[in-house]
Amino acid sequence: MSGVDLTNIVKKYGSFQVVHGIDLMVAEKEFVVLVGPSGCGKSTTLRMIAGLEEITDGDLTIDGRRMNRIAPKDRDVAMVFQNYALYPHLNVADNMAFGLRIRKMPKAEIKTTIDDVAAILGLTDYLDRRPADLSGGQRQRVAMGRAIVRHPKVFLFDEPLSNLDAKLRTQMRAEIKRLHKRLGVTSIYVTHDQVEAMTLADRIVVMNDGRIEQIGTPMELFNNPVNTFVAGFLGSPPMNQVKGTLTHTGVKVGNTEIKIDGASATQVGRQVVVGLRPEHVTLSVKENTSAIPIVLDLVEPLGSEALLHGRFEGNEVVFKAETNGDIGHLSGVTEIHVASSLVKLFDGETGQALNLGS
Amino acid sequence: MSNQKANSNGRLLRLYDHFKREWQIYILLLPMIIWFAVFLYKPMYGLQIAFKDYSIFRGIAASPWIGFEHFQTLFGSDQFMRALRNTFMISMLSLCFGFPMPIILALMFNEITNQIFKRTAQTVVYLPHFISTVIIAGIVITAFSPTAGIVNTFLGWLGIEPIYFLIKPEWFRPIFIGSGIWQEAGFSSIVFLAAIAGVNPSLYESAVVDGASRWQMMWKITLPSILPTIIIMLIIRIGNLLEVGFELIIVLYQPSTYETADVINTYIYRQGVQGAQYDLAAAAGLFNAVIAFVLVMTANTISKRYSRTSLW
Repeated sequence: MSGVDLTNIVKKYGSFQVVHGIDLMVAEKEFVVLVGPSGCGKSTTLRMIAGLEEITDGDLTIDGRRMNRIAPKDRDVAMVFQNYALYPHLNVADNMAFGLRIRKMPKAEIKTTIDDVAAILGLTDYLDRRPADLSGGQRQRVAMGRAIVRHPKVFLFDEPLSNLDAKLRTQMRAEIKRLHKRLGVTSIYVTHDQVEAMTLADRIVVMNDGRIEQIGTPMELFNNPVNTFVAGFLGSPPMNQVKGTLTHTGVKVGNTEIKIDGASATQVGRQVVVGLRPEHVTLSVKENTSAIPIVLDLVEPLGSEALLHGRFEGNEVVFKAETNGDIGHLSGVTEIHVASSLVKLFDGETGQALNLGS
Repeated sequence: MSNQKANSNGRLLRLYDHFKREWQIYILLLPMIIWFAVFLYKPMYGLQIAFKDYSIFRGIAASPWIGFEHFQTLFGSDQFMRALRNTFMISMLSLCFGFPMPIILALMFNEITNQIFKRTAQTVVYLPHFISTVIIAGIVITAFSPTAGIVNTFLGWLGIEPIYFLIKPEWFRPIFIGSGIWQEAGFSSIVFLAAIAGVNPSLYESAVVDGASRWQMMWKITLPSILPTIIIMLIIRIGNLLEVGFELIIVLYQPSTYETADVINTYIYRQGVQGAQYDLAAAAGLFNAVIAFVLVMTANTISKRYSRTSLW
C-alpha cells in the first residue's frame, strides 16, 4: 500500500497560519489533484508531503509510515517542479541520473534505467543535450524522467505545466495521464488550472484559504458542488451565480421565475444564490424548463459551440450554445431555457449548497 | 553607388533617432567615457617615447626615434629580467592561492544558516578592503616585527627564535600574497555571493528530494552554477595578472628583499620616477601592457571554446 494520508495537517509561519488542519486520504495508485486559487495552500501542502516544508501539526503517513520527521530523501517520493529544476550544466542523461548517482546505483544499472525511461518519454535522441538546447515540452519530459527513474512510491507534481503554452499543455496533460496509467504510481498533482484538474484527476481536492472545500471525482464536483466557491471554480466558463428568492414553485430572480425541483411552501422568501451552468441551457423550450430572458451583448464563437455573453436581470451571465456551423442565428437570442432539475441552489448567506428535495 | 549612399544615410538617420531616444543613457555613460579618454587613451600618445631617445627638454615630438633600443636594454638588464620573473611568480602564486579564496569564502557564507553570525562574519572579512594600503603595510610590519610582532610572540611561545620576516627574501612572497588575500578575499567574495544568490532554489529542493547532502549540493549544484561567473572573474584577473599591487610592495620591500620582491611596476617606478629614465620606463610599461593584452585574449578564447562563457 503506497497510499498517502494527511490527518489534521497544519502549517504556520510564525503566527501566520496557511494550512488549517486538512484531512486527506490518497489511495494507492490514485491520481489526486489539489486545485485552488493562488495562496490557497495547495503547494505548501505538497511541499509538506515532499518534506521541503516542516509540518507544524498533524500527521503525514506514506505507505503506513509516519513521515513528519523523516528526511525528504527517505520518504521515497519524487517531485516534478513548476520550473523543471533541471541542472543547466548537466545534459539530459546526467540530469536524469543525478538522483541515482547520489544513491550510488551501479553505473550499468543507471544506464539501463535511463535508456528505458528515455524511450518511454521519447527522449532517446536528446540524452546528450543540455536543458538550454531543449524546448519547453522536452524539458518538462526530462523533469518527469528524473522523477520516474527513481521508481518512487509517490509522484508529486507542483504545477508542472504552467510554464508551457496552451497547445503543449494539452499534449503534456495527455502524456501525464498515459504515464500514470502505465506506471500506476500514486500521484499528487497541484494546479490552479481547473481544466488540468478535471482531465487528470481520479479525485479532485478543491482548496481555498488553507482549507479543503470539497473532495470528489471530477463529475461529482462538477454536478454537485458543495458551495458557491467550488461551483465558481470548476467549469469553463464557471457556473453563473445570481441572487434570488425562493417561491412556492421555484426561485424568483428580479421579475423572472425559474422553476426548481423540490420547491415547498416552508422555504418561501428564503434568500438564495441560483447556480446556472453555462452548458445546462437550451435555446428551445423543453419539458420542465423555465425561460430566462437575456440581453445579449456578445457572441464568442468557439467552433462547434459559442459563448453567449449578456445580462440577466442586471447580472452578467455567460451561456454556451451549439452553433451547428453558424452563429448567425445566435445574435437574435433573447431568452434561453433551463431545466428545473439542473438549477443549483446555494444558501444566500453561507454559500452552502441547498437540497430542497431532501 | 546610389544604393550605398542611401544605406549609409539610412544608418545615420537610425543612429540619430537612437541618440534622440536614448540620450539620457548616453549622458550617464559620459563620465566614464571622459575618464577613459583622459586617463587611459590620451596618455597613449606618450607611449611613443618607448621608441624614442626622450628628453624632457626636447618634448615628445622633437625627441629622435631610436626603434627597439630600449627594449634591447631592458632584456639585457638583469634587474628587469629579475623584475619580470618576480612579477610572474607573484602573479601566479596570487592567482593560485588568492583567486580561489573568495569563492571558498562565498561558499562558506552560503552554508551559514544563522543570519546574525553570517552578517557579522561577512562584515569582519569585508572590513580590510576599506583600509588604505599604507595602513595595511603598517599592520603587516607590526605583526611581523621581530620584537613586538604577534607572529614572533607566538613563535616565541613555541620556543622558536624571532624571525626577521621582512628582510628575508624567502618570506616576502608569502607575506605579500597572504596580506593581499586577507585584505581582498572578503570583498571579492561579494561577486560570487551574488552569483550564488541567483541560483534557482528549486535546484536545491530537487536535490534534497533526490537525497543529496549539503556537501554534494555545493559540489554538484552551487559550484557548477556559478562557474560562468568564476570564469569571467578569472579572465578579468588574468588581464590584470601583471598589475601586481605595487603600492604595497613599495611600502614593504627593501633592497634586501629585491631579489624576490622587485616587480615590473616597482622597476618602472624606480627607473622612471626616481631615475628620470622615462623612455626606458615607458618601454617596460608597454611591454607589461602587451603581455596583459595577450593573456586576456588567450584566456577569453580558451574559455569561449571550452566553457561557452566569455567576456566578449
